[in-house]
Amino acid sequence: MSQQSLTLPPTDRKAVRRRRLLELLGAASIAATFIFLVLTQPADIAGGPGSVSSLVALGGFLLGALLLIVGVLPTLPTSTVVLIPVALVLNIVLGQLMGTSGLPFYLDSIGTVLIAVLAGPAAGAATGALSSIVWSFFNPTVLPFAAGAALIGFLAGVAARYGLFRRFYLAPVSGFVTGIVAGVVSAPIATFVFGGTSGVGTGAIVSAFRAMGDTLLAAVTKQALISDPMDKAIVFAIAAMLVYALPRRTTFQFPFVRRFRVLAGKEPAGRNS
Amino acid sequence: MAARLNPLTALTAAAAVLVITTAASSWAVSLTVAVGAVLLAAAAGIVRRVLLAAAVIVVPFWLSLLVIHGLFFPEGRTALASWGPARVTAEGLTFALEMGLRTAAFVLVLMVFSFSVRIPELVAALTARRVPPQVGYVLASTLLLAPLVAARLDKVRQAQESRGLVVGRGIGSRLAAIRLQMVPLVLGLVHDAGIRAQSLDARGFRSTGPRTSFTQVRDSAAQATFRVFAILLALAAVGWRIAESLPAGSLSAWFLSGAGGG
Repeated sequence: MSQQSLTLPPTDRKAVRRRRLLELLGAASIAATFIFLVLTQPADIAGGPGSVSSLVALGGFLLGALLLIVGVLPTLPTSTVVLIPVALVLNIVLGQLMGTSGLPFYLDSIGTVLIAVLAGPAAGAATGALSSIVWSFFNPTVLPFAAGAALIGFLAGVAARYGLFRRFYLAPVSGFVTGIVAGVVSAPIATFVFGGTSGVGTGAIVSAFRAMGDTLLAAVTKQALISDPMDKAIVFAIAAMLVYALPRRTTFQFPFVRRFRVLAGKEPAGRNS
Repeated sequence: MAARLNPLTALTAAAAVLVITTAASSWAVSLTVAVGAVLLAAAAGIVRRVLLAAAVIVVPFWLSLLVIHGLFFPEGRTALASWGPARVTAEGLTFALEMGLRTAAFVLVLMVFSFSVRIPELVAALTARRVPPQVGYVLASTLLLAPLVAARLDKVRQAQESRGLVVGRGIGSRLAAIRLQMVPLVLGLVHDAGIRAQSLDARGFRSTGPRTSFTQVRDSAAQATFRVFAILLALAAVGWRIAESLPAGSLSAWFLSGAGGG
């Protein structure tokens, strides 16, 4: 299934450069939005539901996610593109299940991490962003978190690239670190777009910090720092378990896995790529 | 009614309404938008499905908002009641109400769009706009795949049960059961995806250039005008909100100095 398409790939320099530009713009938009929100927050939220912050959070993060999708998707091989819907369904099915359980975990990115490990950071980022957009057809409240989901996919791909999925105990560690970054980036969205809530379980933790007199953004960030690293550690461990359970014949079909030796062990014999 | 609209028109309208609601940020506007979305759903005959799906999302959300802001709002001054550290303040309740209504409007508007849009038409409209075909494929494929995956999970469970899978009480047994179902499910799905990739490639999925579509999407000059108008209106709302948020007088001072300098 990994065999290359028989026709030669079109080598259109201009199109490649345009896509790279879209990716960079997308990443820059997400970064600039986050910096703006952190710098301007104290003045805004005290005066009622901060409307400029909400607009910036929604617009900047969504624009960044869309640019990433349009830039990355056409560069992926078809074998990766057809896996993305599978990953999205896994995200949604498991995420919906956890959302109703009341636990302060989400577990809504198993599929994203799986793709990132098999196909690399760019595919992971596009999958994360697409996951939020497609999921919003059933649950619109996940739409603004597209940038955070893209970041998780990207970081998971980077972890796989540098061999953190070769040993089972390293996967949760990289998940923990990813969770810290993703939590800090997603907190402004939960704060400014939804007034600091993304579920009953997490709401209880936020109100505990509010009771101690924290500002809303600080409380939500602290909640995210409690929930997200644990959540992502579990997700990375599950994804690692799934990848290890797949036969090597399947996993080594992905060029990313072969090129960066993502998984321990040798390539199956009889394959000359 | 929605069937005759171009899906891009519906999408633009939904996005513009959401931007304007967020920019206005007042409970009255949010309430109007939410009620309007419900009326629109009623006119399209999908009001029950929309309300049910929205309630599942919005009700836990409201409860959470009420717990966070109703009980603890350190910025609040007018205390209505207090038990120990918890203090019910008028400001906190107002904040919760405003956020709750805005979120309800957000969810309802997008729900009306996603429940009334026809996915094949949306995909065809996006492809006609030169959006990469992979975006349309992922969108349509996910929505078609979801029920298939659920059915497949059921089959895997049945197969494992017939092999003697019994889910015990302990957490270890539960995790083992999840693993026994997850691994065959994911393996089968990854394998299927490979076969699908081959047949897609054989049919020129990655070829660039013009594409034709079986699905004809209606469009009209009036709808195109409406889309431009809606985008301009949304931009105006954002501009107004940003101008409003600048320190009072700074804008007119800048304007005057600019006029004087010129």
